[in-house]
Amino acid sequence: MPGGGVDAAGRLTADWITTVSGRLSAYLSLGGAGLLAGLLLARPEPVILAAALLLAAAAGLALAREPDLDVTVRLDRDRALEGEDVELEVTITARSPVAWLDVEVSLPAGLVERRSSTEPAGALAAGSARTYRRRLECRRWGGRLVGDVRLRARDPLGLFTYREDERHLLPLRVYPRPESVRRLLRPAETQAFAGNEVSRLKGDGIEFADIRPFVPGDRVHRVNWRASARRGELHVNEMRPERNSDVVLFLDTFTDLPDPSSTSLEMTVRAAAALIDGYLRRRDRVGLVGFGGTLRWLRPAMGERQLYRLVDALIDTQVVLSYAWKGLDVIPRRTLPPKSLVVAFTPLLDDRTLGALIDLRGRGYDLSVVELSPLAFVRPGGREAERLAFRLWSMEREALRGRFLAMGVPVVTWRRGEPLEPVLAAAGRFRRDARLVRT
Amino acid sequence: MNGARLSLAIVPAGLPLAAALALAPAVGQPAALGLVGALGAIAVALYAAALAMPWPGALPWAVGLLGVEYLASLEVRAAPLDLGAPAYAAGLLLCAELGWLGLEARRGGRAWLGRAVAIGTLSLAAVALGALLLLAWTIPLPGGPTLTGLGVLAAIAAAACLAWLGRR
Repeated sequence: MPGGGVDAAGRLTADWITTVSGRLSAYLSLGGAGLLAGLLLARPEPVILAAALLLAAAAGLALAREPDLDVTVRLDRDRALEGEDVELEVTITARSPVAWLDVEVSLPAGLVERRSSTEPAGALAAGSARTYRRRLECRRWGGRLVGDVRLRARDPLGLFTYREDERHLLPLRVYPRPESVRRLLRPAETQAFAGNEVSRLKGDGIEFADIRPFVPGDRVHRVNWRASARRGELHVNEMRPERNSDVVLFLDTFTDLPDPSSTSLEMTVRAAAALIDGYLRRRDRVGLVGFGGTLRWLRPAMGERQLYRLVDALIDTQVVLSYAWKGLDVIPRRTLPPKSLVVAFTPLLDDRTLGALIDLRGRGYDLSVVELSPLAFVRPGGREAERLAFRLWSMEREALRGRFLAMGVPVVTWRRGEPLEPVLAAAGRFRRDARLVRT
Repeated sequence: MNGARLSLAIVPAGLPLAAALALAPAVGQPAALGLVGALGAIAVALYAAALAMPWPGALPWAVGLLGVEYLASLEVRAAPLDLGAPAYAAGLLLCAELGWLGLEARRGGRAWLGRAVAIGTLSLAAVALGALLLLAWTIPLPGGPTLTGLGVLAAIAAAACLAWLGRR
């Protein structure tokens, strides 16, 4: 009978599901028919034939015992990087003898067995234990639950099959391998805290900004003696302070473009992981907005703890289908601090994302868009009408990019297989050269 | 030979035994060859079809038909007590077990040593039980309502035992 519950340790447990072989009913039926034939024919031979079959049925019934097993599952670690291996160890201890036991570990998507190891199924004596080790390769980032063990046992004569799913689910967090990025996008505005970004404002700092005439109250050590001597009056140096900045990564999780090699969401997460790491190293405050069917956000903060919080949030990123309209108003205000740099990763396909990005720019946020080009995931059809539709769609996308560029928002296209750094550099060039348009 | 190969080797193993069981009652009986031979041929064909297709539902019919063929051969020639009955019963059981093992192997199941030992032991026990029953048959007992009543009680007890084992 299927069923289950939670044991004292809080683990999900299931009862054994027993399946009876067709042999049992066949032996009982043939045995009964043989006994009847013995009576009718008044001969012992039918009874002897029946007795052999009934003996097998009786022995099978007498020897059948529901297995009593103790299953423990262990992972050698609970965090790994994409591409690394983890070892899963399943130990089965038999409290009562089992004639035949087969163990199968069901792996979640994104984890694959490095070598297909098929330990022979076999008997397990009472009190003995058997350990199965699996070397698993973490193929894709994400949060996984590992430890779905399927047990299959049989009685000595194979009349009964016992099945049970033991779910000792252990969390395994597979972190994405970040894209290699050395130069990050520089924010237009800085915040009040000290950091590595040279502020556009003047103040205390080590980066030279300008020279101006001395006014009472200026510190003497700021006097530029060479300029003062040349001009005949005191001049002081003005400096730019090093400040930090607020960076918000805006991930469009409305759409995922699948492909056998990777998906747009995978590209988004890898790029975001790289930027998070880069900006946090510069003592910037980094926040995250996952804008999709479910809205996820993390307020900007700095430090090692924020790094783990952000990466943990990233690996739980997934596409949730939703038709509900969402705008910027659903994002908490403190998630998007004023003067923050917003870097959006989006395939520019969903109107809700487009609306939110335009709204962000309209509110004066320093926005940069990294477009994960859907063109790499789509093939133009073979027919003339399909090719025409593809061209029209491509032109529409070009017009959309032009609309963003007209607002002073750099839209750089990142295609699958390309490194991220040149893409960010292109956005940086646009930001440096273009005149900011305030809408 | 690994477990998977052994399992695949088991698939056709029951067929020669089924053929032997089908031939045994017909040998040396030209008078009954038609009926007995036909029953045996159908039984072996069913057995082969059950393994080849695979068709598990046909296997009990094949085993049953082999038993019917054996009993028919005894009845047709009005044979006296057959002392080979225990051996035939053990062979029939072995044939059935090999058939089911073959079917399980076709579905990817693997044979294991414990089960082979259990089947061997069971076949020997079937011979011993058959011999015991033959011996009991030869004991001259006066018939009557008491003996019939005891027989009925024994049958009910056997059925109850099986039912209890099944519910346990």
